[in-house]
Amino acid sequence: MKRFTRMVYKNPEEIVFGRAKFPVSQRWNIQFGAGYVVPEVKVAPQEGSEASKERMIGECRNIAQSACERAVSIGLPAFMLEQEHVFQQTNNPEWAAECTQIQAEVLESYHDEYDIKVSLRQTPADIRLEERAPGLRGSDYDNKVEESLEACAANGASDICIESMGGKSVSDYGISRGDIKATLFGIGVLGSIDMEYVWDRIVNICKKYDCRPGGDTDCAQANTAMFMAGGLLDKDIAHTTAALARAMGAARSLVAVECGAIGPLKDCGYENPIIKAISGVPIATEGKNAVCAHSDLMGNLIAGVTDVWSNESVYHRQEMGGTTPEVWLQATGFEAALMNTALQTGTAETLRDTYTLTDKYRDPQALILAYDNTYRIGEAIVNYGKDPYLRSRAAALEAGKIINEASEAGKLYLTRFERDSLDNALKVLEELPLDADQFIDECLRTYTRKVAEFDPKSYEL
Amino acid sequence: MSYIEELESRLDQSFIAIRYNVEMEGPAIKPESDPDVQNILPKEEPYKSIATGVLYGDMEATLNGVKKGLEEEDLSPIDIINNGLMKGMDAVSALYTKGFYFLPDLMLSGDSMMEGVKECEKVLGHKSETKATTVSFVAEGDPHDIGKNLVVMFLRANGYDAIDLGRDVPTEEVIKAVEEYKPIFVTGTALMTTTMTVFPKVVEELKKKGLELPALGCGGGSVRKDFVESFPMSVYGVEAYHTPKLADSILKDKKTWKELRKEYSEIVGEFVPEYA
Repeated sequence: MKRFTRMVYKNPEEIVFGRAKFPVSQRWNIQFGAGYVVPEVKVAPQEGSEASKERMIGECRNIAQSACERAVSIGLPAFMLEQEHVFQQTNNPEWAAECTQIQAEVLESYHDEYDIKVSLRQTPADIRLEERAPGLRGSDYDNKVEESLEACAANGASDICIESMGGKSVSDYGISRGDIKATLFGIGVLGSIDMEYVWDRIVNICKKYDCRPGGDTDCAQANTAMFMAGGLLDKDIAHTTAALARAMGAARSLVAVECGAIGPLKDCGYENPIIKAISGVPIATEGKNAVCAHSDLMGNLIAGVTDVWSNESVYHRQEMGGTTPEVWLQATGFEAALMNTALQTGTAETLRDTYTLTDKYRDPQALILAYDNTYRIGEAIVNYGKDPYLRSRAAALEAGKIINEASEAGKLYLTRFERDSLDNALKVLEELPLDADQFIDECLRTYTRKVAEFDPKSYEL
Repeated sequence: MSYIEELESRLDQSFIAIRYNVEMEGPAIKPESDPDVQNILPKEEPYKSIATGVLYGDMEATLNGVKKGLEEEDLSPIDIINNGLMKGMDAVSALYTKGFYFLPDLMLSGDSMMEGVKECEKVLGHKSETKATTVSFVAEGDPHDIGKNLVVMFLRANGYDAIDLGRDVPTEEVIKAVEEYKPIFVTGTALMTTTMTVFPKVVEELKKKGLELPALGCGGGSVRKDFVESFPMSVYGVEAYHTPKLADSILKDKKTWKELRKEYSEIVGEFVPEYA
């Protein structure tokens, strides 16, 4: 496997939304990172639709058709429809096949009639359970995930993605206790090991079909930290800790690209701007138009270098402006139109910088994702590119340095909790061994005892 | 100076974003200097050391105090739990409620308390007495369990025997647990729209067996209040830390699921937008 040991971009100024070093082409005449931003819409099947295959297929068809109707009625040149699978779809690969097929048929019919550029992303659920033998590898659930991925690829998905869960048991333990060593072990080591297992399979599946390997996201780990960190007044975990977890998540999610994923990387990977800076692949991101799904503190900033602008997820239901596939595609569609206007008029860099400055000092989590800082974290990762542990550690240390610099410059203010958590975490990270085997041995001794669900066999450790 | 730096130099940040958490932060305090904590912490040893160990999430100090009490001073394990470990946890809860303590403090203190309880139970030869039994599960088909883990931790830290059924739990296992443990409160969590549909099925199966629960607390990522209130016996839970307050109100005030729905904000003691 090729590891990244150099930055693809020469400097951060080169990185802007809508343009990637390595654009991706898919069927239905759509490109990503090729000079325009594509809006994305994603809608969760309504409760009750899981009662039968027929209902789920009908639900998926309705979501696709609603999105297509609104796309042409407001004049969108292109859009992506993503379907994140619910448990029942992944656990029944024939559901995955038929739901994909119906959505592909709908999208193709609009492409044929209007020549609109469309893309169908399918994301089976990672339903594997570490604590249920044989764990993440070789279990019935693991086999179902693989079968569903293949069913999507074989039945019309433009690309396939996953939100892999490896390392989550340990990172959850670490995040909720402010134990940065556990967080690093869970994300940087276990997450990276599991991604290699998952992504080698996905890439091999895609080779058999006209389907691209999209990307992963550290949703299970860094997003858990972000959601628990919550808003400014929440008192669960420190926003500085969540920022360090995000930086580690970049070193982890990069593994998908190293295994052969070509992008656009999955929308909820807030670490994606770092991976774009390193690898040049197009990325999907989400922010202010994903408030239907969750709250974040970087709603504009995260659009700065995006290639696909997503709503993340929303219930399938009616709002005053229409059904949610219509409403939320319109929201992402108009934002993408703003970015595309900037690209066409030569003002993209100004818009990127404006997006960035609206949130840069709102929160440490936003600060480290500003494109100049993602570049720095990217450099820290590639300096140790061949070692998943050391590069995750380096990413977190660099993120800490960025936060400290902004704090010392009087640009970013931290609470005592955020300050203490950061100082403690950096101290622990700095004192960690520089040898991955030693670190892994130490962690195995500690966390097999402390985390009941953690099973080293799932990672061949 | 780069273009973005030049733009940044023109900004007045106060028109863009304010870190209210920093603006509103009070002076630093030492945990044991807080007046409520002082009232809660025991004065006599070794209870004081044990409670202080829990207060600081210091497992070693907590266990040393517990062992000293059990082995050298021949104290009753029940007294150590009630007068040392639980008092420490009460102080932690007080600081968390006031916003001085955060989740990691709570988790580490909870871990210290639970280890201390285990030491006491070794001497007791059986499980220690708790306020009551609760059961927690993640819906069948759902692997997302951090919410449930927090709920279990909050319940245990507040003196409940919280039975943890794990994640992806079939409905029949939930029913079996209700029959076996007779909990005062059951919590179910789900992240997906299509796994939360397990909750009404649990209620339906309970009814078929003639079982009645004071309440089934339902919460998690995509779970909605209107959905939870579309079937009986249920209450929509907003935050994990609300759980022990709901359990307390069932236990002490005999609140029913209907009353929990009506009085949720009052019971948890704060403004809850979902119940406004």
